[in-house]
Amino acid sequence: MTDTRLEDLLRDLAPQVLGAVVRRYGHFDAAEDATQEAMLAAATRWPDGGVPDDPRAWLVTVASRRLTDLLRSEQARQRREDAVARWVLPEQRVAPPADSPPSELDDTLILLFMCCHPSLSPASQIALTLRVVGGLTTAEVARAFLVPEATMTRRITRAKQRIKESGIPFRMPPGAERAERLAAVLHVLYLIFNEGYASTSGPSLVRADLAAEAIRLARMVRRLLPDDGEVAGLLALMLLTDARRPARTGPGGELVPMAEQDRTAWDAGAIAEGVALITKALPRGPTGPYQLQAAIAAVHDEARAAEETDWPQIVALYELLMRISDNPVVALNHAVAVAMARGAPAGLELLEGLRADERLAGDHRLQAARAHLLEMTGDRAAAREAYRAAAEHANNLPQQRHLYARAARLSPDA
Amino acid sequence: MKYMILTYASQRDYDAMSGKATGGSAWSAEDFAALGAFMEAFNRELAESGELVETRGLTAPVHARRIQLRNGVPAVTDGPYAETYEVLAGYWIVECESFDRATEIAARLANTPGPPGVAERAAADVRPIAESRAELDL
Repeated sequence: MTDTRLEDLLRDLAPQVLGAVVRRYGHFDAAEDATQEAMLAAATRWPDGGVPDDPRAWLVTVASRRLTDLLRSEQARQRREDAVARWVLPEQRVAPPADSPPSELDDTLILLFMCCHPSLSPASQIALTLRVVGGLTTAEVARAFLVPEATMTRRITRAKQRIKESGIPFRMPPGAERAERLAAVLHVLYLIFNEGYASTSGPSLVRADLAAEAIRLARMVRRLLPDDGEVAGLLALMLLTDARRPARTGPGGELVPMAEQDRTAWDAGAIAEGVALITKALPRGPTGPYQLQAAIAAVHDEARAAEETDWPQIVALYELLMRISDNPVVALNHAVAVAMARGAPAGLELLEGLRADERLAGDHRLQAARAHLLEMTGDRAAAREAYRAAAEHANNLPQQRHLYARAARLSPDA
Repeated sequence: MKYMILTYASQRDYDAMSGKATGGSAWSAEDFAALGAFMEAFNRELAESGELVETRGLTAPVHARRIQLRNGVPAVTDGPYAETYEVLAGYWIVECESFDRATEIAARLANTPGPPGVAERAAADVRPIAESRAELDL
């Protein structure tokens, strides 16, 4: 078995093994450490000794043994520290489920719900999800988020502690709560994807891996919940966005706007998969924000040239999205789509209305959009000023270079 | 031992890199791409040799805030520096065998590409890091 295949196998098995161990013995935090050690043992032994016939059972056995050791030493410590501790029963003891025996896949889903529990901060949810469900090592998670390993260890330990203290039982959240908790899970996956996709500088390789990891996790959730429209929508959105990555940066690492991208470099396979997913999900309703964003991405991806983009359809989709999401960036994108569909003045009028929104104050995207629309109207002087204002507000050098270059193109002597 | 390598730049230097017309040394797209490639290779090599602890670049000094006591009350000043005043622009923390090795690493920064004149004005400092309070009391 090649290293990559072994790694893939272990990472698929990690949440299943942890789920099985927690279900049997409780102690989420210690069980997580035990599972990591079992994974490590497999990674060192299997390449030479061969993969056991039932790798999952092997890992569960090793992790269970390790957990027993950990709990024994923990008990000994507690006895030393506090004589009363002897009489305290394990608080995390879990009753066996009354209904049908759960599958390994259910365990993976429950783990996801635990990692994305609302009592944790988003940063902790992300870190815990990548480590517990994604099977990344703490060092890898730390590298991906550019923080020292010690900091990430602390963050993960605190999150696990918090889960332990909250007494969250290891089971599927009940009906009403489930939709809300699933939304939290999807949001965490979306954040992981963006973290990987939005970064273009520095350790770009590591971060592109984060986008791939988010897609892998979204595929996994889709296998678990094949009938959920928003799960399909999120996976489609990731695929349709990631499909453009090869054309998104130029040879010098600079960002290339979508209208100028070489569309032949887009990943046709990913686009086909994303379009199929969203086409199947949309008519089934109810339509949530991920499905709408995926639908918008699909309209862009299906245009063979920027001029062929179906802007009226994009306007309509943004209008649906604005009804369910009060996000000023959505309103900003809507204004740009309106300009493309009905002419720049209509878009500029909408942008004027957005200038009062405090959430966009000082955001270079509002000025950049204004500059672009002013350029479309032919008002070169005003467009130049707006590009310069946008550049002043932008916080990173590649973006600033892009905006100043636009402004320079519009100078009277250019 | 750990050492910190520090580099400096003024708001004017940042503006030149951002493409804003400053009248000074303007950075072309090629210059900027070459800089990115140089830094990526430099960092990768340090990471591969196991000597890199961490590295960061700082955003333009215009985004800085300075906090100072004024009449006993902390007061905040936005963008507190003059245009040409050089401030910390980025740093590396390296862990290596000797001060000389850290110096050798920092010296490679002299090859940083850029428009004419920039390299001649640039400088990097190397400073040993105190690992504990006891060392600082020396």
